[in-house]
Formats: sequence, structure tokens, C-alpha cells
Amino acid sequence: MRLANLMWVVRLDLTLLWRNRTALFTVIGLPLLFAAILYSVKGQKSAGVDSALYVGTGYLTYFLVFSVFMNLVNVFTARREDLTLKRLRSGPLSEAELLGGSALTAGALYLIQAVLLLVLMGATLGGRVPADLPMLLAGMLLGIPVFALLAFALSGVTPSADMAQLTVLPLMFACMVGSGVMFPLDGAPEGVREAARFLPLSPLVEITREAYFGDGSPGSYARALGIFALWAVLGFLAARRWFRWEPRHA
Amino acid sequence: MNQAIQVEGLRQRYGDFEAVGGISFEVGEGELFALLGTNGAGKTTTMEALEGFRPVHAGEVRVLGMEPYRDRRALRPQLGIMLQDAGFFADLTVAETVRHWRGLVGAPREDVLELTGLADKADVRTRQLSGGQKRRLDLALALLGRPRVLFLDEPTTGMDPEARRATWEIVQELVADGTTVLLTTHYLEEAERLADRLAIMHRGRIELSGTVAEVVAGHGDRITFRVPDRVPVAELPGLAGAAAEIAVSDGRAVAAYTVTGVQRPLYELLRWAEERSLELEGLQARSASLEDVFLQTADGGAR
Repeated sequence: MRLANLMWVVRLDLTLLWRNRTALFTVIGLPLLFAAILYSVKGQKSAGVDSALYVGTGYLTYFLVFSVFMNLVNVFTARREDLTLKRLRSGPLSEAELLGGSALTAGALYLIQAVLLLVLMGATLGGRVPADLPMLLAGMLLGIPVFALLAFALSGVTPSADMAQLTVLPLMFACMVGSGVMFPLDGAPEGVREAARFLPLSPLVEITREAYFGDGSPGSYARALGIFALWAVLGFLAARRWFRWEPRHA
Repeated sequence: MNQAIQVEGLRQRYGDFEAVGGISFEVGEGELFALLGTNGAGKTTTMEALEGFRPVHAGEVRVLGMEPYRDRRALRPQLGIMLQDAGFFADLTVAETVRHWRGLVGAPREDVLELTGLADKADVRTRQLSGGQKRRLDLALALLGRPRVLFLDEPTTGMDPEARRATWEIVQELVADGTTVLLTTHYLEEAERLADRLAIMHRGRIELSGTVAEVVAGHGDRITFRVPDRVPVAELPGLAGAAAEIAVSDGRAVAAYTVTGVQRPLYELLRWAEERSLELEGLQARSASLEDVFLQTADGGAR
């Protein structure tokens, strides 16, 4: 991979994103709407901390779902079906550069949002400086390639850009509810709670939340990373199996 | 002459379907080679194998001495590829599209929009272009990187006659400057005008190849006329041993003879008509055209 080629893809992606209202809403509008919720739950308590900070630390990785996952499913399904992906592939860029460049764009957009969120939490919601900054960053950074791989795989089985609005929903809701983004799963039966820890976002939410509040341990991190490694492998295999460069009818 | 493109025993499958069933040809540097054939003959599949879109199923292909799929990183910058169906980003203007693509090539040509006659469309979004204009933008992008080998998959489809002629001139100039071109087309006139050599494909195989003169040779000359109303088809004469083939055109029976040399059979025909005081409407005598050969091949194998 060449950096110049990756940056070419990033420039193209940003130009096209700026002209596409639906994509802009997914990448900028949805995170803003979700961020607004933080101010309505401020002062309540969740799992012993201020709800705004509990939910905010959930968002730190949940925003992967908007900017990386949903965005990339949209981009690659639409480009495959309108044959622009085929055109891009006919040029000098390698397949890895085309996939990697778009993942880089999406990942950068996500990181900007996550950092802004951290600043917002610290400045206006009574948040703190993250207790374990390296671990927090690790949780955020690791999420980018894996949610990109899941997006590549899902785009391959999504027939059209319109359908992409629907096919992303199961994972979007499963992660929102099951990964403990908005509220703790304390009330759920033990079996459900245990199963929910195996959702792709759950280990990342655990890692970043523990890293933020400083209540993580090597053991809890290792367990979460183990589950996440499983998703990295699954994502890679699924992307290799299902991702398509050419339209489904061809 | 150095070979820019070498294909030896190429086979390409999609699942159980064999799209290309063992073809061989070579294209010399600075030569224009045309692949003709009906839809589904395997032309595009052959092009895509040479462009490095997927590994070949069997056989050997080389472009500029490289294996197109494995070596595409080194090869692609030297190729110009005009696909049959590739999309444009609908929200970009023509100029923006070219500007983005320019960033991908080392020493881009600056004149591609002028060359393809799109300069006055520079600020139009690509979604508003007509089919022919999109083809011209396609060509403009393919030429940006000053390619050594140019792949043109049905380059003039959707163009009006004027744009088609202008495109032919561009291609002829490129070939004169030493660019190697592999062309597929539905327009036989296009192949006759441009191709140094050509191959006619049918169901994944090359049925005929050579220069236009070589391909047409051996397919005989043609004598045709409308059968007069009062002559039963069974009473039409044989001409130099050839029997009439009857086709119906505009509700009238048309007799066609395939002969070698027209003088003798034509004399026999005219004498036959004279004796019966018949007027032969639409009488034509001419050499076989590429179209005749193409239709015979598409009908089910060359003779």
C-alpha cells in the first residue's frame, strides 16, 4: 500500500461525502443527535456513575457503528451497484488501497467525533481525564478495522444502496441495546447478559469504559480482547467470503 | 515486431459456464487488433483477463511481457482501460472527475477534454451527460496516463455518427503514435476502418482471424436480386454450380448466390433473364463483406 494512493481515496471519499446528504446525516447528523441525549440524562445515575458519562463512554465506541459500519456499507453497496467501484478498480490502485483508503476516511471521521466527545464530556458533563488513556485509545483504534471488515462483508449481501438503510439496522440496534451503550444490562437474566458480551461492540464498550473510569484490570481487558479477536477473525473471513466488487446481477 | 499482447490457450469460466474456451492471438506493439462477435461471444471476458481483473482459469496471457493479474501493480500504470460499463460519480462534474483521476497518473495528458470534445461540458455533473458523452469521458480518462496499451470495449456505443468519426480519428492518431489497441465493437464498419487485424469470436472461440482481406477471402462473392413475381423459386438457375439461397426481405423473395468471381455467373444470369424477358430488380454483384462473414460466423461456425 502506498500512502499517496490511500490519500487519493480519502480525498475522493471526503468530496463525495460532502455532496451526499444521506451519508452526511449518517456520519454527522446521527452522532450529533445521540450526543444531545447526553444532556437530557445528566444528573441521573447508571451503574454508580453519572448517566451522561455512562452513556458518553458507551458512545466513544458506539460511534463506530455510524461513521465506520453504516457509512462503509452504504459507500460500498452504492459504488458497487452504480459501477463506480468497477471503474476505481480499473485504475492503478490496488484492491487493498481502495478498501483501506475508505476505511481510513471512515476511521478518521470516527476518531474526530470520539475525541470531540471526550472534550465535551470533560468540559460540560463533569467528565474527567481518562484514567488509562493508552487503553482507551487502543479500544477505539482496534474497532476501526474490524467494523470496516464487517461493513465490507455486509455490503456484499446488500442488494442496493436503499436496502443498505435496512440491512445495517440489526447490528445497529443489537449493539445499542446489547452492548451496554445506553444502560447497564443488570436487570437481564444471566444467560442474556453473558450472550450479549459476545456482540462485536461489547468488548470495546467494556474496554473504553473501564479505561475511562480506571476500574479495569488486566484480566477484564484480556477477556474483552479475546472476544474481540474472535470478531476480527470472523470479520476477515466474512469479508473475504461475501464482499463483491461487481454488481450482484452480473 | 515486439508482441504487446500474447494470449495462448486462454480459458475462462464463471461457475460451470465456460465463457472463453481456449483462444490464442497476439497483438504487436503499435497494432490495433479488433475482437468481433455477438453478445456473449466472450469478448469482454477476454478483455478483462488481459486487464488483470481476475486470474485466468487456464492458459497464458501476457501484456507488455507481464502477467496481468499477478503483476497488475506494475502493469496498470501503462494501460488505458475503457470498460464497457463503468460508472461515474454522479455528483462530480466532468472537470472534477478528470481532476481526481489526474491524481492517479504520473505525467497526465492535459488536453483530454479538448481531445474528446468535452471542454464545453467541463462544469456539467456527470449524471447529466448523454450516453455518447459518457463514452467520451470514459475515453478521456483512459487516455490521461498516456497508456502504452489501450483497451477499448465497445468505445463508440451510444455516440452519434459525428462523435463516432471523431473518436475513430483519435484512435487512429494514437495508433500512429505507437499505442497498441485492443478493441471490441458491434460496428463492423468500425473494425474495417480501424483494425490492422481482427478476430471473430463465437461462443468463446475464435472462428476466424487475420486482416480484413484475409478474413473475407475465401468467402466468395455475392450476387443478389429480387425474384420476379412470375418466376417460381424452383425455376431459378444454378450459376457456375452455385444454387440460389432464398431470403425474404420486405415481403419479397430475394435470391442470393455465393460464387467465386462474378463475371461468368453474372453473364449466365443475365442471359437467362434475357431469354425470358425478365427484369431483375435490385441486382447486385459484389465481394463478400466483413458483415457477410460475420453473419455466417454468428449463424453457427465459419465455413
